[in-house]
Amino acid sequence: MIQLFHVTKEYPGEPPALADVTLHVTKGEFVFLTGPSGAGKSTLLKLIFCAEAPTSGQLLLFGRNVARVSPGEIPWVRRHIGVVFQDFKLLPERTIGENVALPLEVRSLPRREIRRKVLGLLRSVGLEHRAEKFPPSLSGGEQQRVAVARALAADPALLLADEPTGNLDADRTLEVMELLAAANARGTTVVIATHDRSLLQRYTRRVVALERGRLVSDGDSIRQAGANP
Amino acid sequence: MMRRPVEAIRRAYTALVRSPYVAITGTGTIFVAVLSIGLVAAGLGTAERLLGAWAGEVRLSVYLARGADLPTVGAAVAALAPGRAVEEVPAAEGLRRLAQSLGDEASLLDGVGADALPDCVEVAVPGIALGEAKALSRRLRAVPGVAEVDYGTAWLERLERFLDRARAAGLGLLLVLGLATAVLVSNTLRLAVYARREEIEIMKLVGATDAFVGAPFLVEGVLQGALAGGLAAATLLGLQAALLPRLAAAFGPFAALAPGAMLPWPLLLGVVGGGAAIGLLASALAIFRFLRR
Ligand SMILES: Nc1ncnc2c1ncn2[C@@H]1O[C@H](COP(=O)(O)OP(=O)(O)O)[C@@H](O)[C@H]1O
Ligand SMILES: [Mg+2]
Repeated sequence: MIQLFHVTKEYPGEPPALADVTLHVTKGEFVFLTGPSGAGKSTLLKLIFCAEAPTSGQLLLFGRNVARVSPGEIPWVRRHIGVVFQDFKLLPERTIGENVALPLEVRSLPRREIRRKVLGLLRSVGLEHRAEKFPPSLSGGEQQRVAVARALAADPALLLADEPTGNLDADRTLEVMELLAAANARGTTVVIATHDRSLLQRYTRRVVALERGRLVSDGDSIRQAGANP
Repeated sequence: MMRRPVEAIRRAYTALVRSPYVAITGTGTIFVAVLSIGLVAAGLGTAERLLGAWAGEVRLSVYLARGADLPTVGAAVAALAPGRAVEEVPAAEGLRRLAQSLGDEASLLDGVGADALPDCVEVAVPGIALGEAKALSRRLRAVPGVAEVDYGTAWLERLERFLDRARAAGLGLLLVLGLATAVLVSNTLRLAVYARREEIEIMKLVGATDAFVGAPFLVEGVLQGALAGGLAAATLLGLQAALLPRLAAAFGPFAALAPGAMLPWPLLLGVVGGGAAIGLLASALAIFRFLRR
């Protein structure tokens, strides 16, 4: 599903944000991407959803090389990917329902179908009663659940989350993680970037660790916790 | 790419309603721009029509040799100038008209007899081109019994040169105004694009194509432009209604213009269509520069 071969990303005048990273994620996996702040986690996710292009190396998504993807092709790649951010990235002047509808609108689905799907999505994140509210009137945990519903709206094969629980307290973190785990249980491949070690301890999953742009370990979270106390 | 134009129009409408101030700024900019262009175009057009009406009074005067028969020469002239109004003016009538045109000074003509003037045939040649006037007068001069043909060459020549130059200058002016307008309006519409950069960023994040992101901006540009053009056309009509009677009272030539002559309908349509076109081009420029940066 995701294959990186010797991927390097450099920003001018800085040490490489990613250096010679080779990594494979197969369909249906649930992967934590971890490492201290500045390790290159966000950069790796940006390469995957084509917000940035690698300086060198190859990046295959769904079997297709996107290292040199043309701007016109990016939307078609992104339609297979849902993304969740630490700061939610909801549109404040649109209702919760309209925010969740956005990925369906850009795919030009019929309005009736959009309405039906949005209701189901909001129900699945427990926010159907908030459909007409605006994001600023919701708590952080609720906003992040909206963002997850939006990311999953078009049934993407791949879900990327960049510090999705970074702004949430322990209980809200648990709620959001349950939603991501449920999506994975339904077959969506999930990659979560986090520096929150407690998450890795609670969920026994594959953990890929980065440090100063280099891949330093790759294994399940139990061994990870043991190797790096 | 844009499979649902109706959807784009709906999104454009939503955006206009959501941020009316941005829309008003855009519409206002286009309004000022097309109004100035419309004023210049109407002014140039009116000037040309005034000169044309003036030139329409141009006549060739065919003076008869002494003793020549007026009806005979008149018939010969009419045969050489088909479709033109030909009038036989006997010397006595010529003298009467001269006296009339002199008005208070008519006493100057006291004691002047009708035999002081030759008989004359007048040919009305409205809107005649200089070359045509020359050729016609040459043919008329060859008519037996004709002493002289007067067609005010110098005046016609000057008018034609002036009209040519005015037309070129007018077109150049409209072109410069149009270009300046496109840049100005596109900068204003860039603000509208910039105000929605977060929305654009998120739409692209969830897989929107540039066509999908851009379509509502183009629709908004056309709507704002057409609205601005309509307002400018209405303003021009209002100005005409207020100004034309005053101009007609102050300057004789304006009285000769038809009531709506300053703003013929192609000009009004051009103002509305031009507004829409400027809106479309400017918004296309604005969104294209934003998406491709
Ligand atoms: N747009 C950018 N321009 C310049 N440097 C950047 C940019 N984005 C990230 N970096 C640098 O790349 C490195 C990795 O950043 P990032 O991927 O955000 O780390 P993480 O998400 O693991 O905290 C950091 O040193 C950061 O300063
Ligand atoms: Mg980060």
